[in-house]
Amino acid sequence: MTSGGWFSFVSYNFAHMKFAQQVFLACLSLLLSINSFAQTSLPDADKSPLDVSYYPVNYPLLKIQNKTPEPPVARIIYSRPKREGRPIFGNLVEYGKLWRLGANEATELEFYKPVTIAGKKIPKGRYTLYAIVKEKFWTIIINKETDIWGSFKYNQAKDVVRVEVPVETLAETAEMLCMTFEKNRENFNLIIAWENIKVAVPIQP
Amino acid sequence: MNLLRLFSLLLLLTGLLSCQDGQEKKPATIPPVSSGKTDTLPAAATQENYPYYINTDMSPMDMSYFPTDYPKLKMANGKVIEQPVARVIYSRPHLSRRRFLSILKYDEPWRLGANESTEITFFKPVTIQDKRIAAGRYIIYCIPKPHTWTIALNTNIDTWGLKQDSTKDVQRFVIPVTHNNPPLEYFTMLFEKTDTGADLVMAWDDVVAKLPIQFK
Repeated sequence: MTSGGWFSFVSYNFAHMKFAQQVFLACLSLLLSINSFAQTSLPDADKSPLDVSYYPVNYPLLKIQNKTPEPPVARIIYSRPKREGRPIFGNLVEYGKLWRLGANEATELEFYKPVTIAGKKIPKGRYTLYAIVKEKFWTIIINKETDIWGSFKYNQAKDVVRVEVPVETLAETAEMLCMTFEKNRENFNLIIAWENIKVAVPIQP
Repeated sequence: MNLLRLFSLLLLLTGLLSCQDGQEKKPATIPPVSSGKTDTLPAAATQENYPYYINTDMSPMDMSYFPTDYPKLKMANGKVIEQPVARVIYSRPHLSRRRFLSILKYDEPWRLGANESTEITFFKPVTIQDKRIAAGRYIIYCIPKPHTWTIALNTNIDTWGLKQDSTKDVQRFVIPVTHNNPPLEYFTMLFEKTDTGADLVMAWDDVVAKLPIQFK
């Protein structure tokens, strides 16, 4: 898309409307000012920004309201790539290959107390998270090698647990990779969603 | 880029409205997508209809390590080296045509970021202004004055940045700040190597503050 095309299209419609012209000019000047910011400011924020999710959900907000007597159970820190019109699963994320479940630094999953995943007891601590994506199910990998970039030097010998989870199709499309936690009947799930795919990883505290 | 898109969308919407008002009906053109495959996808999620919809933060999160770019060094070196020394995780507000000093309030705590409290982890014990700081995770905030900031390390971790519990301060340090530096659009924290350790650099707009950390 060229911005020139947009502008000529929009200005065509605005030809008879003084107000709309003013809006257009205001937007244009804003766009220009953004451009000038881009030239002078370094370093920029990441294209795939970092984000954090806690379990219990929104733990830090609950904490300042004194609604959290206990320490958190888990948190995930991950970078959030955007779809930007690209087909993701089976394309950008290739089936059967290791995927770093994010961008930039390896996605970090921390447990504040021991948990159980797929029958395996996992001590409290920080871990990295990867996945092998297939059409019907994903293999979620929890690995001990932390503070590392992506999955380029992934070492299977440091795996803590691997668990297969079924793929669910969603009615809506997620533009950005989303990770959050949700309570299930007795325990909680780590939810990973992008495009129109979701998986849930059951975790027992 | 998102802002640009938002404005483009706004322009399109205003254009459509003007279509309805005026005589001429010009069909709305939809910008082409890179692949036809995306046409088969369901409608985009919204906060209302989709529980896993999480907005991108206005002030996105970021992290900095010491040694700088430790995760990349570790990837490149395979075995690496030792443990990292420190890591800071913070959210990055941006000026958006404001000035930092119009946002900052003197003598009131500032969370050194946005959203959750800014978190600093020391992977080994360090020394700051002759005070021994144990390895571990802390939150860090400042109390600014025009020419000095008081930096507090606090053990009330995993909390939102708007409320500090100063009874959990471990240590406070007064450091100088400088003005008239090259302006930064985004609030930035990073570690800068020194002869005896590293400075934790906190910079936004034309203001720079440095907390010297010794690794002995």
